[in-house]
Amino acid sequence: MGNILEIKNLKHHFADGTPGIDGINMTVREGEFVLIAGQNGSGKTTLLRHLNGLLLPTAGSVTLAGISVSENPARARQMVGMVFQDADSQIVGETVCDDVAFGPENLCLDRAEIQKRVSEALEAVRLTEFADQSPHLLSGGQKRRLAIAGILAMKSEVLVFDEPFSNLDYPGVRQILRQILSLHQAGHTILLTTHDLEKVLAHADRLIIMKDGKIARDGSPNEVVRDAEMFGVRQPCASRPGIEIGSWLN
Amino acid sequence: MAELTAFSFRTGNSLLHGLDARFKLVFLALISFAGLKAYLPGLFILTLALAAVMIHTRLSFLSVLKEIRYFLILLLFVFAARALSTPGVPVLEADILGKTMAVTGEGLYHGTLICWRLILTVLLGLLLVSSTRPSEIRAVMGWFLAPFPFIPEKRVATMIGLTVRFIPLILSQAKETSDAQRARGIENRKNPVYRLTKFAIPLMRRTFEDADKLVIAMEARCYTENRTEPELSSGRADWVALVGVVCLCILIVVG
Repeated sequence: MGNILEIKNLKHHFADGTPGIDGINMTVREGEFVLIAGQNGSGKTTLLRHLNGLLLPTAGSVTLAGISVSENPARARQMVGMVFQDADSQIVGETVCDDVAFGPENLCLDRAEIQKRVSEALEAVRLTEFADQSPHLLSGGQKRRLAIAGILAMKSEVLVFDEPFSNLDYPGVRQILRQILSLHQAGHTILLTTHDLEKVLAHADRLIIMKDGKIARDGSPNEVVRDAEMFGVRQPCASRPGIEIGSWLN
Repeated sequence: MAELTAFSFRTGNSLLHGLDARFKLVFLALISFAGLKAYLPGLFILTLALAAVMIHTRLSFLSVLKEIRYFLILLLFVFAARALSTPGVPVLEADILGKTMAVTGEGLYHGTLICWRLILTVLLGLLLVSSTRPSEIRAVMGWFLAPFPFIPEKRVATMIGLTVRFIPLILSQAKETSDAQRARGIENRKNPVYRLTKFAIPLMRRTFEDADKLVIAMEARCYTENRTEPELSSGRADWVALVGVVCLCILIVVG
C-alpha cells in the first residue's frame, strides 16, 4: 500500500518561541497502525494537531494523500478524524445523536445522508440505545466511544487517538481497544499516542518514540520497546525478560 | 455518571413531541402571556391543562418537584414579601422587635397569584424542553432571528446550543471544586469574600480552558456556520393545536 501521510522536516514553534516540534520526517502507509510514545511535553499532541491543520508548521510540510494540509485544511479535517484526550470537552451536541451529527452537518450533507451516517456510526460503537440521551450522562468509556462515532460519521480515513486510555478503568480500556482494533481491521489508518505501552503494543505495526520534539526511535515495536526507558517511557514488564507482550483482550 | 434531570429532552410519542418546535415556542409565549394576565379561576384551568399534558407526556411530578425545589424556596420568599408588604385587612399580626408585622388578606391573595403564575411559566418551559430536541430549539431560535438585520442568527443559535451543553459540565466542575476545597478545610474560613474568590477563580479558569478545548474540537470536525440545520416542518396537527391554544388562552384570561 502507498503512503497516506508524509511529513517532511516539520518544525513548529509556539507563539512564545518555545519549540514544540523540531525537524520531524516520517511517512505512514495506508492501513498502518502506528503507536507514538513519549513522556509529557515530548511533542506528541503538537505533532498530531499538524495532521489536520489545527496547527500549521513553522517550517516543513505535512501531506495527506498527496495534498498539502496547509493548502487545504478543510479536506484534512474531513480525512483525519481526531479523538482528543479529554472526551468531555470534545462533545459538542446536546444529545448523543446530535453530537455524532455535528461533523456531517458541517460537511453540508443532506439530512437523509446525515441520519444514515449517524445510525451507522452509533451502531459501530454500540451506542444506538443512548441516541437521545444527554452525552453528559454517559460513562467515561461511552463518552470516548461517542467521540469515535463522531469521527466515523465523517468517514475519516485516518484516525488519530490522543491518549485514548487515560482516565479509563480496565473494562473501559478493553472496550476502547476492541473498538480501535475493529476500525483498524476495517481498513482505517491508525495513529495513537500513549505513554503507557503495555495496553496496546501487542497490536501496533510500528512504534515511534519522541523526545524533545524529535523522533528518537522509529521501528518495529519489539525492537524499539527495549530502548523505551531511555526516553522516559515505561517498558512493559513482559518485554524486559524478552517475553512477547500479550494483548489486553486475551 | 450524572443524573438525568427533568430539564432535559426525553424521547416520546406524545402529541407534544410530534408538534413543530416553532409552534411549540409560539404556544409557550402565548400561554405564558395569558398566564401572567390570569386570575385564580384562569390559573386553575391552566393548571388542569398542564397536569393533563404532563401525564400525557409521562413527565414525573416528583422529578419536576425535585428539579424546581430551589425555585420553590425562592417563591416562598416572594410569597412572604407580598403577604407582609401589601396593604389591606390584617388576618395575622405579630410584634417583632417592637415593630408590628401584619399579614393581610390582600397580601395572601396577591402572593398566591404571583407564585402560581411563576410556577406555571416554569412548568411550561419545562414541558417545551423535555419534549423538544435541543437541536430543534437551536434551529428555531435561528429561524425566528433570521428576519432581524444585523443579528448573526446562526452564531446566536450555536451560542445558545453550546450554553445549554455547558451547563451540566460547569455544575459538575463547581461541585468538584467545592468538594476539593471542603476537603482542605475551606469551611474554617468564615469570610464569604475569601471563600467566593477561592471558589470562583479556579472554576472560571477551568471553564475557559474547557471552552478553548471545545473550540479546537469543533474546528477538528470542520465547524462552519453554513451547515445543514435540522428540518422544521409543520402539519395540520400544529394548526389544530394553535387553535386549541388560542381558545385556552382566551379561557384563561376571561376565566
